[in-house]
Amino acid sequence: MSRVKRFFRTYTPFTRAGMQEMVAYRANFLCFLIGEIMASFIMYFVWKAVFDSSGSETFMGFTMEDMVVYLFITFLAGYLTYSDGAFTVGEEIIDGSIAMRMIRPCSFEMCFLFQELGNRIISVSMIFVPIVAGVEIYRYVQAGEVRFQPIYFLLFLLSLVFAYMISFYFNVCYGFMAFFFKNLWGTTLIKETVVNFLSGAIVPLAFLPAGLANVLNFLPFASLSYTPVMIYMGMYSYSEIAWRMGLQIFWLLVMYGLSKLIWRSAVRHLSVQGG
Amino acid sequence: MEAMIYAENLRKEFKKIIKEPGLKGAAKALFKPNKEIVTAVDDISFEVPAGEILGFIGPNGAGKSTVIKMLTGILTPTSGFCRINGKIPQEDRKNYVREIGVVFGQRTQLWWDLALRETYSVLKEIYQVPEEQFKKRMTFLNEVLELDSFITSPVRTLSLGQRMRADIAAALLHSPKVLFLDEPTIGLDVVVKENIRSAIRKINEEEGTTVILTTHDLADIELLCERIVMIDKGRKVFDGGLSELRHNFGDVRTLRFELVNGPDFKLLDYRRRFKLTDDDVSAERDGSSVTVRFDTAKVSVEEMISYTLSTVHVKDLNIKDVEIEEIIKKLYRREVSL
Amino acid sequence: MMRYIRLHRIFIAQYLKRLMEYKVDFMLGAIGLLIAQGMQLIFLGIIFSAIPALKGWQFEEVLFIYGFSLVPKTIDHLFTDNLWMVGYRIIRKGEFDKYLTRPINTLYHVIAENFCVDAFGELLTCILLLAYSIPKLSIPFHWYTIPLFLIVSIFATLIYTSLKIMTSAISFWTKASGHITHMLYMTNDFGKYPVTIYNKAVQALITYVIPFAFTAYFPATYFLTGKNPLFCLGGTVIAGTVLFLLAIFVWNRGLRAYESAGS
Repeated sequence: MSRVKRFFRTYTPFTRAGMQEMVAYRANFLCFLIGEIMASFIMYFVWKAVFDSSGSETFMGFTMEDMVVYLFITFLAGYLTYSDGAFTVGEEIIDGSIAMRMIRPCSFEMCFLFQELGNRIISVSMIFVPIVAGVEIYRYVQAGEVRFQPIYFLLFLLSLVFAYMISFYFNVCYGFMAFFFKNLWGTTLIKETVVNFLSGAIVPLAFLPAGLANVLNFLPFASLSYTPVMIYMGMYSYSEIAWRMGLQIFWLLVMYGLSKLIWRSAVRHLSVQGG
Repeated sequence: MEAMIYAENLRKEFKKIIKEPGLKGAAKALFKPNKEIVTAVDDISFEVPAGEILGFIGPNGAGKSTVIKMLTGILTPTSGFCRINGKIPQEDRKNYVREIGVVFGQRTQLWWDLALRETYSVLKEIYQVPEEQFKKRMTFLNEVLELDSFITSPVRTLSLGQRMRADIAAALLHSPKVLFLDEPTIGLDVVVKENIRSAIRKINEEEGTTVILTTHDLADIELLCERIVMIDKGRKVFDGGLSELRHNFGDVRTLRFELVNGPDFKLLDYRRRFKLTDDDVSAERDGSSVTVRFDTAKVSVEEMISYTLSTVHVKDLNIKDVEIEEIIKKLYRREVSL
Repeated sequence: MMRYIRLHRIFIAQYLKRLMEYKVDFMLGAIGLLIAQGMQLIFLGIIFSAIPALKGWQFEEVLFIYGFSLVPKTIDHLFTDNLWMVGYRIIRKGEFDKYLTRPINTLYHVIAENFCVDAFGELLTCILLLAYSIPKLSIPFHWYTIPLFLIVSIFATLIYTSLKIMTSAISFWTKASGHITHMLYMTNDFGKYPVTIYNKAVQALITYVIPFAFTAYFPATYFLTGKNPLFCLGGTVIAGTVLFLLAIFVWNRGLRAYESAGS
């Protein structure tokens, strides 16, 4: 028990620092967010035009109402599970300050994780409620009844936590790419675009050709946002939810193991570089 | 003829948002930011004749850099004005900066990823230096600042000393009439410092360049400047020659006695003998010698020597000149009122 | 003027030398942008596989407008990318001092110092889209079509660049404004699609307030239909000019408010 206590005592200061940082840069954050959510609004109009033009109530199994929920909850999930870890790790590797992390008596990625959690706590409190409330009000107005399902919502939250952890370890792995590239801008852009597509953030995976969609459903990227969003929308049965979450846990373990493996070889690489 | 640099009642105010610590403070700042006006430079006037090297000194945060930034046209004064080389920097910036050179020791103006030589070829175009003159100038700067050994290296690989020499050369490429140096020797070792000082001296002597330099290294001042302006908390507290500074602010002398039996402070008690405080006299052991610093306004050199000679066996005696550093330290600590 | 053109050549030459040092990174940047655009096109492809037209717009027409929107965006990205750094870093860290001690226009100097070759990823997408869509569309072609296209592209670029200048200049007062530039810049994606798909409020916003509709949709519809040249092209010219003058004004006011960094 005391080990757990000690663990939290070591890392909660990082969370507090993360929260303060977020509060200090709240204006930047809000502007950034408004810019990002603009893309969801554009997509909304595009889909609206699509539904208007198709003359049918559903498009590949989605109603317009589903589409709106999909767009904004995907945005929310994408934002909440987005991890900066990669960039920070990468930048610290490039400027050499990663060495400072290694001399501290605490786990390197735990420091990042807890600091980011602090960040998330603040940003969640700023955007989570407005977006979920907005989506639910929209659904209520469209359908004339409350569509919000608490059980699915709770499962969605749980799935989101898995998604965040997968994203975190995936990005830590990616951050080590900085050993090979001096400038992370290009690779980050490629990574983000590809992950976005593979995770269903640009087009729902259900809209893709069946063969491709099946493959993508099994890849870790679907676990990042598609799985939680589908749970929120009530698209999955309980048994399907169970094995999707099982898949999330599987990928989480894989990413965790991979990050450990890369970290170990990276430390060796670092000492070779330092001479 | 008007002075090369003329500053009248320069004043600069900044708005500062006061942040309170912690989450609560940040939350409070969200609704009601606490603003305060800070006067960084408060009514400073001075002039510098052409060809002079002026030392600009003061403790950290005194407003030195702010003054330099107003003189170079980077900042606009809140009130007051300056005229350099007959031009007001803020009015005709582009023409004005053609005739000045600026070096900020903490920052480089060189192109980071390119070979040093490339920076000069870009600056040549920016300042429109004719090819012929450029070649001559590069030869001269090479000779004074010894750039040859690293001119083909990328700037990011240069040592701090090399980078500083390269930056000074960049500021001099277009043969400016006035050179502003903001802490040109910061972080450098003694040899490089001397190197840079002699380059500054040479350029000043050969080309009559007017130089303003800020520094924390008082050796820079003693070796380069005939005149200093000292500011503190945004106000000018002294303006004059070095000898004047020595004369006005307590003539601190240092005597060094080498003793036969080594110093014995039971015998040698300067404070009790002359009824002085620690500020007016200090004695330090240095091997078999003793070094005494004292204010000649309180005790004469003669009295000091005769007391020491009569108390202990003295082998040798050495009188040092007034150390400017002592005076300035005192001024910084506000022990001398002005 | 000649002097600035000459200077620009030198800046670009220096940039290319730097590029050679970081070849791989820049390649990756360009590939990244190419992929990003490609994903958007897959999205359009999926939509049009299910419907014949989007609010009356044919697939090729939508591609043409999309491709057209990339023309000013690419030019702006290629030449003025350094403005982002003004809002994110240059002013906050006091690096702007350097520009103020040089005898050339500060705005020009900041812009000229960088040249963003990553934009070739967008340029390639743009060329592919136009090359694919134009032959399939019956675009009325006259002797003045190409000169008109070039002129309108310049003014459309000015819309982009001016908005970037203005939002970057905000950092002269606030120290950092990259996030504001980002916020405004993201609205440019509204211009990629036919504006008729938006509701009235959004249409008004992107026509009269942040006139991104004039960077693609309006000029592109003129080239598609030959109708309304006065509004479609004139609007672009006026919006570009007015915004540019405003941007210069804001920038110059900002210079006076610049507070540098440190003491």
